[in-house]
Amino acid sequence: MSAETKAWVRAEQKRGQSAARVPILLGMAQVGLGIGQAWCAAYLLAAVLHLAPRGLMAVLHAAGFIGFAALRAVAGMQAERQGFERGAAARRRLRNSVLSTILALGPAGLRGKHSAELAATAVDRVEAMEGLHARWIPATALAILGPALVGLVALALDWRAGVVLLAAGLLVPFAMAVAGIGAGVAAKRQFIALTRLQTRFLDRIRGISTIVLAGRAADEARALAAAAHELRQRTMRVLRVAFLSSTALDLAAAAALVVIVVRFAGPLRHDPALAPTALFILLLVPEFFAPLRNFSAVYADRMAAEAVADAFCALPVPPAPVPAADIRSVAAHGLTLAFEDVSFTWDTARGPVLEHLSFRAVSGEILLLTGASGAGKSTIMDLILGFITPDSGRVTINSVDLPVLVPAARTKMLGWIGQKPMIFAGTIEENIRFARPEAADEDVAEAIRNAQLSALVDSLPEGIKTPLGEGGFGLSGGQAQRIAIARAFLKDAPLLLLDEPTAHLDPAVERDVLESIKRLASGRTVIMATHSAIAVEFARNSGAKRLDLDSLRHARHREVLA
Amino acid sequence: MNPVSRIFLLWGRQAGWMIFGAVLFLAALAAGLALMGASGRYIAFALLGGGVLVPAVLQYIGAARVVLRYLERVFTHEAMFRALAGLRIWLFTGLARSAAGGLGYRRAGDALARLVNDVDALDGLFLRIFLPLLGAVLLAPVLAVLLWREQPWALAVLLPFGFVAFYLPALAARAAGRNGARAGLAMSGLRSAALDALSGLREVKIYAAEGRMLAAVQAREASYLAAQRELVKQTSALNARAFLVAQAGLLLAMLAGLAGAPVFTVITVFVLITVFETVLGLPRAGVLYGQARAAAARVVEAATALPAVADPPAPAPMPAGNSVAFEHVSFRYADNLPFVFENLSLQLPAGSRTAILGPSGAGKSTIAALLLKLVSPLSGQIRLGAADLATLPSEAVRHRIAYLGQTTHLFADTIRNNLRLGDPTASEEKLWAALEAAQLAQTVMGLPEGLDTWLGEGGQNLSGGQGRRLALARTLLCEAPILLLDEPCAGLDADTESEFMKVLNTATQGRTVVLIAHRLTGVEQLDRIWRLAGGVLMPAAG
Repeated sequence: MSAETKAWVRAEQKRGQSAARVPILLGMAQVGLGIGQAWCAAYLLAAVLHLAPRGLMAVLHAAGFIGFAALRAVAGMQAERQGFERGAAARRRLRNSVLSTILALGPAGLRGKHSAELAATAVDRVEAMEGLHARWIPATALAILGPALVGLVALALDWRAGVVLLAAGLLVPFAMAVAGIGAGVAAKRQFIALTRLQTRFLDRIRGISTIVLAGRAADEARALAAAAHELRQRTMRVLRVAFLSSTALDLAAAAALVVIVVRFAGPLRHDPALAPTALFILLLVPEFFAPLRNFSAVYADRMAAEAVADAFCALPVPPAPVPAADIRSVAAHGLTLAFEDVSFTWDTARGPVLEHLSFRAVSGEILLLTGASGAGKSTIMDLILGFITPDSGRVTINSVDLPVLVPAARTKMLGWIGQKPMIFAGTIEENIRFARPEAADEDVAEAIRNAQLSALVDSLPEGIKTPLGEGGFGLSGGQAQRIAIARAFLKDAPLLLLDEPTAHLDPAVERDVLESIKRLASGRTVIMATHSAIAVEFARNSGAKRLDLDSLRHARHREVLA
Repeated sequence: MNPVSRIFLLWGRQAGWMIFGAVLFLAALAAGLALMGASGRYIAFALLGGGVLVPAVLQYIGAARVVLRYLERVFTHEAMFRALAGLRIWLFTGLARSAAGGLGYRRAGDALARLVNDVDALDGLFLRIFLPLLGAVLLAPVLAVLLWREQPWALAVLLPFGFVAFYLPALAARAAGRNGARAGLAMSGLRSAALDALSGLREVKIYAAEGRMLAAVQAREASYLAAQRELVKQTSALNARAFLVAQAGLLLAMLAGLAGAPVFTVITVFVLITVFETVLGLPRAGVLYGQARAAAARVVEAATALPAVADPPAPAPMPAGNSVAFEHVSFRYADNLPFVFENLSLQLPAGSRTAILGPSGAGKSTIAALLLKLVSPLSGQIRLGAADLATLPSEAVRHRIAYLGQTTHLFADTIRNNLRLGDPTASEEKLWAALEAAQLAQTVMGLPEGLDTWLGEGGQNLSGGQGRRLALARTLLCEAPILLLDEPCAGLDADTESEFMKVLNTATQGRTVVLIAHRLTGVEQLDRIWRLAGGVLMPAAG
């Protein structure tokens, strides 16, 4: 675990400690009530042995015993619920911060991270942090405070017995450390190994069809068995040592009990009145060790948190928002987009993607971007979308620098259609309304007409209320692209970005979709990146200007060589 | 059969370990009870002014208790690990044999991943549910006999014992079972909302939907937490009741002691402390059982699902020839669905290079599925060489056909192990030759760890084109005479795609090639091109 991760876990723990006051207080209340119960039980047992008066006092102690027990049951119940609430609050906070960070970073800030991996952080890894806040943090505090309280009570009543208890209590962490230091470190590594095996199993299950279709199911099952076998052997080697620390706890408890019995056995012969006290202190022994046992029971919660901490630390820090004073708005109509001497580099090792690029696109114009993959088409799109900022040069809309535009105004000006539109879990209507949730029903209906989705919608029994996404109606590539077109119609933005909108379509469908795009394009400033010969031909027929990034690059190289 | 019992039966192979673990558990429990009983007896006598010396028997029992507890922990964990490994491998083999092996082919990867979580939910079955329950079941008669012999009235404490050990856990299991469906639904809602927001990041930014998406995730999270809160509310109340009833049981024993038999009462109270300690965890075990039951049902169902195409009981010998012929094949996925195609015929002579084109949904991949025996024709026949495909074992057929599809998975493992899936015994030279053929040798040689480079999940350390070429190299390693490529370039840009196709032209010389795609790039070298549309195959011009 890196120093950064350690610091992160510590910070989480600190945050959790201040929130855990209520569960800790409830835990201490349980310990206190347990002491009360032990007192009543000691008196009752002494009465049973005719060593304490019976009658009213016994009734009172019986009532006290069950009364304390009832209060303790309530305190335990509340502690459990409060612990859950602390865990829930921590999960809400962490999930909110992870999602806000990712949403603020946008797609450019997270290049190379798979969305499933990010979702695992936002969902499963956040869940794995529950135990730390709900159980581990209160348990660590109680493992010190609980025995201290019990020990002090014993000390007050009989200093020798109190010293025995406290000494045994101090011996426990010492013995645990002797048996456990090595085991603790190894256990952590083991926990990670276990997680890896789990990941491996998950990975093999995900790819099971590949294994089956390669006819290797039996081989792979043997390999999985061998990996599990090896892991078991290593784990058991660690556990055999780690369990010694639990044994140390057992031994300390037994030894304390025996020493206390022996300490009282002598004096009791001369002084039977000592019996309730002796019984009370004996009954305190289990109360003394209970919080320590509980502590070792929740150790796995801490390891679970440490195992996922790396993923939280690995999230990049989102850029600071632009100071409000510099932000300006521009007139939304008649939009001119210009690149002025723009350079951009993703990775210095691979060299710049864009070098001193300048172009201009005015209202009602289609600008066609062509070039091999890696030529910088997507980079230009990302620059216009504001996901990245140029290393040098300016990107302007109506002569205003893009970064100083009000973000809300900037997004209002932009329409976008990519290679594969994201279809969210929801109805067709919700998916289209995504572009403008407050749109009137007529506007949605018109967008559906304009995107030529009417035939599809009419053919479905539930119409625009048909659910899409996982488990819903499966759209073909062309139909999905029409949803994106309907979104763009509904948004009605003056600047339209088309990033290979037909890359995944059959030629026949491609022509149809391009027809719809043509209607969408009229009267807007359009930037279209494409590979497709059909799309290039189509754009030419619509009077597009063409910017070929490959020939630009070659020209630059020739310049350099000349 | 109850799915949980089914899982227990499955553990039969580890029965020795489990029984040994259970015996140690019981022995440790018995030692614990004996220790408490003997201590109670000694303490009572000491209080009454008896002995000072700790009797030797107490020391022996104490030592036995500590040693047995240690051994119990070690061996029950050993048994559990064995059982878990067994369960996982059983699930894997079951899935591989059943329809799910073909299901992954239809992109159900996430549904399968959810199954893994279900297997995790079964982890506590032996240690946290079975053992404490076994202890409680055996304690009841032992306790009854002991109490009956000394003080019949003390049998009254069996009432709170039964309440805590059996009644409350049953309530808890029912509550957890009811809650499980709700919580599971809320969890998958949360998961899909998060996945939606994160995979649609571009759209979310462009349509300024950050706030909306965050609110959607938080709404799902709130309902998930509400479901959990409800369960915590119920179970914490059950735990409180269990505690109170156990304490009432102890009080009962003490009050009864006021009537007589003082020493016996102290012994009983000490023993009961341990007894209730053992069973107080059972309501929690009930919750686990309620949750494990649903998980077990899903796991058992998935692992025992029947394969879509059963192997023939007496398979015919594999034919010598490798030509493939579809003869008047009709197929549909279900009775209420339209035919994908009817009366389809197609010849794929050995060594030929054929492309099957068509729009998505036309049934191209169904041809691949039929060939791989993932589904079987409704009527008509598919021949491999001289044999009817239906009479051949599917494993042997798949050794003849090397398949590369759009969902072909790269494993989180080394490049070497990824390649060896194609041929587990391949030598170093053979691996490099395959990489060379797939034009990936240069790239791999450039990596600091070469063949031992670890690929991230889903092959993350390679670019899209490199990943596909690695999958191709793996397919080439498999010395199958027929290569079946189903949209091998889905998701790649056009340049990378045509690069890949050029590689394919040279790397597959001498084998039968069937390429399924929605369009060609123009660089493929093919003998025939078919177009599949409306269930009909028609020759198409290149």
